[in-house]
Amino acid sequence: MLIRVKLIANYRDALPAGHKHGVVELDVPEGTTVYDAISRFDIPLNDESVIVLNGLTVDLNTPLKEGDMVTAFSAIAGG
Amino acid sequence: MYGWHLKILRVNLTTRKVTMEDVDPKIARDYLGGRGWAIYYMYKEMDPAVDPLSPENMLIFATGPLTATPAPTGNRYMVVTKSPLTGALAHSNSGGDFPTWMKRTGFDMFIFEGKASEPVYVWVNEEQVEVRSAAHVWGKDTHETTDILLTETHPEARVACIGPAGENLALMAAIMNDKHRAAARSGVGAVMGSKNLKAVVAMGSKNPPLYNPEGMRELSVNTSKNVGADVKKGSNMRIYGTSYVPQVTNTLGILPTRNFLQGTFEHVHNIDGDALKDNYLIRHTPCYRCPLSCGRLTEVPEGPYKGKGEGPEYETISSLGTGCGVSNLAALVKANYLCNEYGLDTISTGMTIAAAMEMYEKGYLSEEVIGMPLRFGDHDAMIEMIKLMAYGKGFGKDLALGSYRLCEKYGHPEIAVTTRKQEFPGYDPRGSQGMGLLYATSNKGASHMEGDVAYEEVFGVPVKENPLTTEGKAELVKHFQDSFALIDSSGLCVFVAIRYVFDKTRIIWPQTLAAMMNLTTGAGYTPEEVLKAAERVYTLERMFLIKAGSGPEWDTLPPRMLHEPLPDGPAKGKVVELDKMLPEFYQKRGWDEKGYPTKEKLMELGLPLA
Repeated sequence: MLIRVKLIANYRDALPAGHKHGVVELDVPEGTTVYDAISRFDIPLNDESVIVLNGLTVDLNTPLKEGDMVTAFSAIAGG
Repeated sequence: MYGWHLKILRVNLTTRKVTMEDVDPKIARDYLGGRGWAIYYMYKEMDPAVDPLSPENMLIFATGPLTATPAPTGNRYMVVTKSPLTGALAHSNSGGDFPTWMKRTGFDMFIFEGKASEPVYVWVNEEQVEVRSAAHVWGKDTHETTDILLTETHPEARVACIGPAGENLALMAAIMNDKHRAAARSGVGAVMGSKNLKAVVAMGSKNPPLYNPEGMRELSVNTSKNVGADVKKGSNMRIYGTSYVPQVTNTLGILPTRNFLQGTFEHVHNIDGDALKDNYLIRHTPCYRCPLSCGRLTEVPEGPYKGKGEGPEYETISSLGTGCGVSNLAALVKANYLCNEYGLDTISTGMTIAAAMEMYEKGYLSEEVIGMPLRFGDHDAMIEMIKLMAYGKGFGKDLALGSYRLCEKYGHPEIAVTTRKQEFPGYDPRGSQGMGLLYATSNKGASHMEGDVAYEEVFGVPVKENPLTTEGKAELVKHFQDSFALIDSSGLCVFVAIRYVFDKTRIIWPQTLAAMMNLTTGAGYTPEEVLKAAERVYTLERMFLIKAGSGPEWDTLPPRMLHEPLPDGPAKGKVVELDKMLPEFYQKRGWDEKGYPTKEKLMELGLPLA
């Protein structure tokens, strides 16, 4: 199934070239979780990152559905 | 005494009498400094019911005990006064150089009272204090004023001043220091203008003596190293400042768009941090002694919006940008420069124009009244409105009243997105419930700077909190409000403070901040004591509000937030469930069910009962 991963600001450095506005599309097997999807990229997976599914706070073990968007950004600063 | 000078400079602008006063060490300790000292003096000396633009209002510049110490970001001051925008309290924070230079005059706090008979500026060179004519800079913008006053005082001095907006009493006028830094919110610049006070120039060499200089140096260096380690890892703040945030809030569906009619903006990529970095960023530019360095020098090199300056920050992008539906980055950057030069708060300026745009689109305001069409997304009209606001010309006179009064005047108060008549900052609380409670109860009206629980709800700092739930938010908001009162009283910047001088628990705990206060002042605070002092400050501010006529009846949100569900994004369908949080908030504060501090709470905090 196709899902999308979006990385914001400095995390974009972890994306392959050719992404559009920090978004890449991935073809992943059924049962792939939020954690599985985001761990394909070289970003911290501890409390230094905020990871949301379709903009919502979820358990990282939540399985993904077709068309889902996983977004991650650094929690190092604030706004 | 250490850390504090325990000295106040008082300038009566009516009589031009200058006095230097000592501060009682017990008051210094109990009220911390900065914002805390200011409310202590205002509550003691001033009738909270006075007209904010009358000579009876006090205008206070206040540094904290950590200002001008080695503490990283010990570079802040607070401007405290009664707000002409809200009728409540204004306490606006700014960094840069000026606050440190001010503290080095040997005074912790400047109090300006009365009203000068003609435009003046005050030049403070330690104990040499002069009230000088400002006739030659009246009408000039903040940059030109700064350059001229440095020439005629001392090139190494620093300037805080108002621009045309403050002179013309725009209710969202800011006080700018070091050209680009703003004590922005609640119309503090209009109060300065009402006193005919164009500028304050400061310099000196009186660094406050430290109780334990070695210990303070070591703790400060270690704290700076922690910041530095994050910067090395690629902290967003050094590269983007806060301009990366639109992508975050857009993802969560809480990016104020078209006067909060929407929570996502389809053109966000045109005006986000990457667009700014790729097109106009020159370099980062720090406040004094800041290892984080979130300020950014930018330039639009050519074209109709040509200019050079600093920013924009997130709050400007979410007000003048998405708030107005504007997606032209060069025009947005220019609008930000203009606000800094005229001395306008970008949040209230942008959101007031946004409210006017909505009224125009709905047919409540005509082209005839405005003088031109004013559609969402019309960046040239937005820039024209900023100019009219600053100079109080034409329709700008109405805009300069802020969105609450503007919408009321034209018969549609439901359009204004304000609490206590102050415009919302850049987090739609329908998708960030804790922010809703914060806006509803803030002593200064809607503001993120009075207990920014978006740190947890949006940014996961120090822990991630679900923004769509209400459970536990009363406790969180109360604790963040007190913690921000502490930071504002200490002289530190929240950006460094929240992450580096509090313990990283959900209920952030000021272990390191208390240690810094002790090494600086020798006051021997426990973390519990500094938080209790901050609660004292917050509660005394609340007492001021009640006497000013901005009490519990104003602890609410505009109809859009309570009754119009977000139409788009992840928080679609949500309104703020304020009634689920407010009673518990009052309880956590030790206030009665109507929102008044109880006698027991006032006694516990050592505050006057009336």
